[in-house]
Amino acid sequence: MKSRKVLLFWCVVLGLIVIMTAFAGLFSTHAPNDMDMDKIYVPPGENHLLGTDHLGRDVFSRLLEGGKVTLTVAGVSVFLSLVIGVLYGGISGYVGGYVDVVMMRFLEALITIPSLILILAFQAFMQGGMWSMALIIGITGWLVTARIVRSEFIRLKEAEFVKMAIMFGTPVWKIIFGHMLRNSVPAIFVVTLFNFAGAVFIEVSLSFLGIGVPPAIPSWGNMLYYAQNDILIGAWWIGLFPGIMIFITILSINFIGEALKDPGRRRLNA
Amino acid sequence: MSVKWFGKRMVMGTIVLLVISFLSFFIMHLAPGDPATAFYGGNAQTLNTAEKERISRAFSLDRPVIEQYGLWLKEILQGNLGYSSKEGRPVTVILLERLPNTLLLFGVTLFFIIIGSLWLGTVAGMQKGSLWDKGLSTISIATSSIPSFWLGILFISFFSVKLGILPSSGTGEVGGDGGILDKLRHLIMPAAVIILTHTGIYARFLQESIKAETSKYYVMVAKANGVLEREIRKGVLRNASIPYLNYIGMTIPSFFGGSIIVESLFSWAGLGQLLVKAVMMKDFPLIMGGILFTGLLVVFSLFIIDLVMYAVDPKLRKGAYSR
Amino acid sequence: MLKVDQLSISINEKNIVEDSSFLVPRGKITSIIGESGSGKSMTVAALLGNLPLGTETTGKALFDGKDLMDSSTEEIMGIRKTDIFTIFQDAANSFNPSVKMERQLYAFSGGRNGDTVKQFRAKMSSILVELGLSVAIFHQYPFELSGGMLQRCMIACALYVKPNLLIADEPTSSLDRVVQKEFIDILKVLNEKQGTTTLLITHDLDIVAEAADEMIVMHAGKVVETGSVAELFARPTHPYTKRLLESRF
Repeated sequence: MKSRKVLLFWCVVLGLIVIMTAFAGLFSTHAPNDMDMDKIYVPPGENHLLGTDHLGRDVFSRLLEGGKVTLTVAGVSVFLSLVIGVLYGGISGYVGGYVDVVMMRFLEALITIPSLILILAFQAFMQGGMWSMALIIGITGWLVTARIVRSEFIRLKEAEFVKMAIMFGTPVWKIIFGHMLRNSVPAIFVVTLFNFAGAVFIEVSLSFLGIGVPPAIPSWGNMLYYAQNDILIGAWWIGLFPGIMIFITILSINFIGEALKDPGRRRLNA
Repeated sequence: MSVKWFGKRMVMGTIVLLVISFLSFFIMHLAPGDPATAFYGGNAQTLNTAEKERISRAFSLDRPVIEQYGLWLKEILQGNLGYSSKEGRPVTVILLERLPNTLLLFGVTLFFIIIGSLWLGTVAGMQKGSLWDKGLSTISIATSSIPSFWLGILFISFFSVKLGILPSSGTGEVGGDGGILDKLRHLIMPAAVIILTHTGIYARFLQESIKAETSKYYVMVAKANGVLEREIRKGVLRNASIPYLNYIGMTIPSFFGGSIIVESLFSWAGLGQLLVKAVMMKDFPLIMGGILFTGLLVVFSLFIIDLVMYAVDPKLRKGAYSR
Repeated sequence: MLKVDQLSISINEKNIVEDSSFLVPRGKITSIIGESGSGKSMTVAALLGNLPLGTETTGKALFDGKDLMDSSTEEIMGIRKTDIFTIFQDAANSFNPSVKMERQLYAFSGGRNGDTVKQFRAKMSSILVELGLSVAIFHQYPFELSGGMLQRCMIACALYVKPNLLIADEPTSSLDRVVQKEFIDILKVLNEKQGTTTLLITHDLDIVAEAADEMIVMHAGKVVETGSVAELFARPTHPYTKRLLESRF
């Protein structure tokens, strides 16, 4: 009962963040790219709720706009990695045998490579807009999804109802989509949720390093990139708030993921 | 002795390195300009003509790609990673200069994370249902959700800007004597940031596996027969440490990823910071070398963890996981 | 030796065991028989103070005059250590898989008595040989031994510590027939030679017939009948006992 409420609470928090950033235009008090050289480094106060940055832009409005960019990049990349992961894991799990062994060995090798390194490598010659960013994060982030889908497929292949379906001559695509994929949804959902948190983390990290989303587009990571210099002159608010947003976003995803993961785990142990 | 297991691990490590090298090779190919130039760098004046010619011949484009890869791999295996296009110095030399700093940061943080998580995880796991137990479960999720570089920014703004007690960047004072104390002073913040954001989640993993272990049959049997509590705990801890070690091994790659960012934030002159700079300046030979080096480091640390697991888990030693 | 009086156990207000009373006389093998879910294993868990969290007990269990239900944790721990030895059903999982047998056997036997490792080694070696086990198992891990060997290791510890009360909770149900027979023989020898009072919990009437002197029949959380094995086999009174005996042939 108590954990239900906790789950609801974090869902509401995440929902608020998503809505606020998705409809950034409605909530923001200033245009996110409006510069006002007379008002640079204004601390949080009445006119500028969270202060202004080195170009006099409103931090609150940029925070919402930046969230939109960060969450969009994460969302698109997660969708991409979901598709790749389901395909790869599905084929490996469904076909089985030698194909499965080879595919899994290859996957294990890829998992050993720090994904950030892979992304850096891609970024070196693909550096461009936010879509190429989403693409890069997507094509490097499907490994765990593939692993989960594979193990779900292997488990379901042995399940009674799938065997029955095969016996009755149900077409293969129907078995795969109607039975196996459908029953893997809970597990895939949880891993996708954690993937989303990971993608937010990577976007933020890359932009923070100055090799992610182009500097002209506000994103939480970009804001933190500039904050590195700003804090040295004491403008703490520019770095504080994007970080808090990232923290709360990832925190709520993690708590939701844990809450959803828990009942399953308990059922397994019983 | 399960030679088979070791053999499998070795093959795995080799495959990983091959995949990484293949990747590096393709980056070089995709890089602007011809591969030979990319290999020795645009302004590599230090090369003598004979060597330049030799490399050019090796990478001549009329050969099939696979053959080029083979020749390139041969160069790599001989320790020749090419020349930085910005600095003109051999990549191997530059990387080796940076290696000690990365190893220092990596070693120190991993050491404290392991010590801290062993302590916290054991205390919390052994007292099921206690405040420690519940507290750690929540706090570990919270701390692992903090982006480490953001915590770094906050640290800099507080300890360096406001209090002025710790240096905000670098590996040592400019014009300093480069002494070990100076270096350690610079190490405090980057290390603290990584340790604070990572210890919780490792502790939680240990806690969960201790809790799972404590509910096992043999613990009940031992308790019912009055076996000393200390003896039981030792056994439980030993068994719980096996999945914990495995978890450390699994997360080492992402751990490396995280330290790249922290290195950059604090301008810690390690491999990570070098790699980021190389990406920004599109110094392809350096990127390739950096990737290969990091891959080597990961594979090497995984190998060490394998060795520890081999020592802790007798089932592994006796080849009882027959599958 | 052990006198259980009006023992009731409940989990979340659901009764698992109700008003059970029985005696375990000194120097004899007493058997509790019942099918799974009859409450026999819970009764043992209650005697050992090993019940899961959230269970409540009422009634008494007098062990040498001391009420086990009303003792502090320290007292129970003391009794577990000095007076009672328990052999459990699942021998294969009764030992820690990653600790060598020598260390574990010591913890179960010599460590309880305060013997030195040297004394333990000498004494245990002869017991192991007596039970047809090689001393080599000292340096082996549990997963390298069979279930039957591990159960004999447990017996070896019981032989070593010479407990006032030996509880064997379904000790043979995970063993195959031949090993079962061996195990029961060892129990009998232990009882005859050392006069070890034994409480044998089982669902197998053959084992009761083979080994026990006294028997307690449990059904649906209640003790339905008690008496000597010979008497009950000849003249069962409770319908459940009758059914049990009939199904045997």
